[in-house]
Amino acid sequence: MSALQPPAAAGPVPFLSRLHEWVATVDHKKLGTMYIVCGIIYLIVAGLEATMMRWQLAWSGMEVLTPAEFNRLFTMHGTTMVFFVGMPILLGSANYLVPLMIGARDLAFPRLNAFSFWLFFFGSLLLYFSYFGGQGLYGMGSAPDVGWFAYAPLTERTFSRGHSTDYWILGIFVAGIGSTATAVNFIATILGMRCRGMSLMKMPLLAWIMLVDCVLILVALPPLAAAQILLLFDRQLGAHFFDTQAGGSALLWQNLFWFFGHPEVYILILPGFAFVTEIIPVFSRKVIFGYPLMVAATVAIGFISVGVWVHHMFVVGLSPMLNAIFMGSTMLVGVPTGIKMFNWVATMIGGRIRFDTPMLYATGFLCQFLLGGLTGIFLATVPFDWQVSDSYFVVGHFHYVLFGGLVFAIFAAVYYWFPKVSGRMMNETLGKWQFWLLVIGFNITFGAMHVSGFLGMPRRVYTYHADRGWDFWNLLTSLGVIVQILGFSLFALNLVHSLFRGRKAGDDPWDAWTLEWSTTSPPPPHNFDEDPIVHSRRPLWDLKHPDDPDWKYE
Amino acid sequence: MNSIPPNEKTHGIELPQPTAGPMICAFGFTLMAAGIVTNWIVAVVGLTALLAGAVDWFRNANPDSLEMVAPPAREKPTPIVPRPGSVDHLLGDSSHRARIPMEIHRYRDGMIGGAIGGVVMAIFASLWGLIAHGSLWYAVNLLAGTLRSGVADLSMEELAAFSTEGLIVGIIIQAVMAITVGLLYGVVLPLVPRAPLVFAAIIVPLMWSGLTWAAVSVVNPALGDHVEWIWFIASQVVYGVTTGWWIIRSEKIGTMQNWHYVDRIGLETQRTGGNS
Repeated sequence: MSALQPPAAAGPVPFLSRLHEWVATVDHKKLGTMYIVCGIIYLIVAGLEATMMRWQLAWSGMEVLTPAEFNRLFTMHGTTMVFFVGMPILLGSANYLVPLMIGARDLAFPRLNAFSFWLFFFGSLLLYFSYFGGQGLYGMGSAPDVGWFAYAPLTERTFSRGHSTDYWILGIFVAGIGSTATAVNFIATILGMRCRGMSLMKMPLLAWIMLVDCVLILVALPPLAAAQILLLFDRQLGAHFFDTQAGGSALLWQNLFWFFGHPEVYILILPGFAFVTEIIPVFSRKVIFGYPLMVAATVAIGFISVGVWVHHMFVVGLSPMLNAIFMGSTMLVGVPTGIKMFNWVATMIGGRIRFDTPMLYATGFLCQFLLGGLTGIFLATVPFDWQVSDSYFVVGHFHYVLFGGLVFAIFAAVYYWFPKVSGRMMNETLGKWQFWLLVIGFNITFGAMHVSGFLGMPRRVYTYHADRGWDFWNLLTSLGVIVQILGFSLFALNLVHSLFRGRKAGDDPWDAWTLEWSTTSPPPPHNFDEDPIVHSRRPLWDLKHPDDPDWKYE
Repeated sequence: MNSIPPNEKTHGIELPQPTAGPMICAFGFTLMAAGIVTNWIVAVVGLTALLAGAVDWFRNANPDSLEMVAPPAREKPTPIVPRPGSVDHLLGDSSHRARIPMEIHRYRDGMIGGAIGGVVMAIFASLWGLIAHGSLWYAVNLLAGTLRSGVADLSMEELAAFSTEGLIVGIIIQAVMAITVGLLYGVVLPLVPRAPLVFAAIIVPLMWSGLTWAAVSVVNPALGDHVEWIWFIASQVVYGVTTGWWIIRSEKIGTMQNWHYVDRIGLETQRTGGNS
C-alpha cells in the first residue's frame, strides 16, 4: 500500500482541485451522484424533445416542426430516455446505495466503476454530437431519425444517408460497454462483499433486485452490441446482414434488437421495484410481506423476461404457433409481477401508513404501474395487439409503465434518499404539490393517448388530418404536458432550494431499518467507521427494538 | 447489528486512490469509435489516449493497489438509541408478527357459495327474461352470446327461442364464472376489515357492472344493445348477496403460519417442545 494522506482541509478548495476530485474519483458515492446528475440533465433534454413533439401534435395540421425534425425528435427522445435517463439514474442509485446497504466500503472494482461511468458519459455525448456531425459529407440529416429501435432496412445506407445512424450505433455501443462492466461490478460486489452476517437471504431486497437486474444486463446488452456491430459492418464495410435487397434479413435485426429491448424494459423497471420495496415497509411501519416470495418473483421475472421478446413482433407475420407461445410467455410475466403487487399491498394492509412524499410517490407507482401492467396483458393477446399495434395505445401503455411506474418510483427514491445524500430534507409541501401536478398531468397526457390509439391514430406521425376525430384527444394530451412541466419545475425548485436551505436531516430521518441509515448524512468516503455485522434483514430495527428483534423470526 | 473496529495497524481505513486513468481510457475509446465516422486521425488520437489511460490505470492497480488512508470523518454517526417497548403490535398479542388475515374461509366454501349464487342469479335473470321479454331463454341466450358468434345479429324472437347450444354454452359460462368469482370472494373477504357483505353485495357488483359496461361497449357494442343495465346490476347484486352471505356465515379456519414446521410439511412424528 502506498499510504497517501490527502491534505488536511483548510479553507475553501479551489475550483480546479474540486473538479479534479470529481473527475479522478473512484468513490461509488461520487460516481453514483454523477450518474444521477447526468440522468436528470438528460431527463430535461428528453422532456424538451417530448414537449416539442406534443406542441406539433396538439392540433391537426400544425407546422411547428418539419417531418424530418419530428422524426429526429422521437428518435432522440426514446433513445435518451432509455439509455441516458433510465439507465444512469438506476445504475447511479444502485452505485450509491448498494455498497452502503450491504455494509461494503465500495464496489468490488472501483476503477472499473469509474471507467463505466465515463463510457456512459462520453457515449451520450457522442450520440448528441450527431446534431453537429451527423450530416457527414452528404449534407443529409443531422441527429438520428430511425426510431429508438432503429429498424432495418431503414438504417441501411440507402435509406439513412450521412452519419446520424452511425452516431446512434456508436454512442449506444460505447455506453452499453459501460453498463455491461457495471453489471459485472455489481454482481461481484453483491456476491462477494456483503458484511458479516448478511447471508443472501438477509440481504436488503434492493440488493437482491439489483443482482437480478445486473444478470439481465449481462444477458441482454451483448446481443444489442453484436447487432450494432453487424449494422456498422453493413453501413461502413458494405456487408448485407440487414440489407433485404441483397439477401439480408430485416427480421434478424428485430429479433436481435428485441432480445435486448424487452429485457431492457425489466432492466429499467426492476430498480423501480427495488425502490418501492424499500420505501413501502418503512412508511407502513411494517416488515415487507413475503420476503422469500419477493426474491423468487424477482428471479422469475428475470428468467421469463428473456423469453418474451417476440411480442414486439406479433404483426410481422410469424407463425400462429410462435405467436401463441410468446403470447403465453408474455402473460406469464404477470404472475411474478402480480405477486409483487400483492406483497406491496399486503405490506400496507394493517400498517400505520405515513403518507410522506416518498410514500405518496410509491403509492402513485402502484396505481399507475398496475394500469400499465394491465394494458400490457391486453397487448400480449395477439388479436388485440393486431388491432392497436403501432398506435398511440401502445405509446400510452409503455408510458404508464416507464413514466407512471419507473419515473414515479425514481421520484419516490429521490425524496427518500436525498436526505442521506445531501444531509438535508426536501420540502414536503413542494413535494406534495409536485406529486399531484404530476399525477394529474401524467394521467391526462397518457390516459388520452389510449383513446387516440383506440381511434386509430398511429404513432410516429408528425401531423394528421382534421377529419379523423383525433384533435380533442391530442389537445388533451398536450395540455397534460403543461401540467407536468409545472410539476417538474417545482421539483427543480425543491431540489435546488433543499440542497442549500433544506432542513437538516440527521442520520436517520425516516426511522428506517437498513444499514445506510446507520452512517452519517452524507456518508464519509469510507461509508462506515467500523465494519457492520448484521443478524437480520433489518439491522437497525434490531438495534432500536432489542426486546423484539427480527432475527428471532427469520 | 454489531461492528468490527478498523485495522489497528494502519490506524485508518484504506480506500483506492483517485485516478484519472479510467476517464482517459473511456475518452480514448470513445474517440476511437468516433474515428470511424470522422477521420482516422481521431481514432489514432483515441488509441493513444486509451493506451495512456490504461498505463495509468495499470500502474494504479499493480503490483499492489495504490491506496490512501481515508481522512477521519468530521462527524460521527448519531448513536442509535434502543426504544424497548415501543412496538405497536398489529394484533395486540405475542402473535403480532403474523401475516393477516390469521383466519380464512375454506376455498371449498367460496366455490360452493359461488355455485349457489350462480344458481340464484340465473333464476333471477331468467325471471327478468320472462317478465321483460316473455321468455325464460332470453337471458341464457344473451349470456351465450359472449362466446358464440353472431348472437348480436339475432332478432328478439330468435333470442327468446330455446336453443340447446345456447343453453349448454350459457350454463358453462355461468358455472365457470360463478364458481371462480366465489373462490375469489372466499379469498378476498377475510381481507376486508369492515362490512365484508357490503363489499360483496354492493361494491364488487357495481365495479364489475361498470367494467362490463365499458368493455362491452368497445368489444361488442351490438351485444351491449340487448343488455338492460338496471337488471344486469340487480342480478349482480343478487349474486353478491347470496355468495357473500354464504361465505361469511361459513366457518373460518386458521392459516398454517403458526403451525410448527414439522406439522406444516406434514411429517407424522412425535414432537417434544418447540413452538406450536
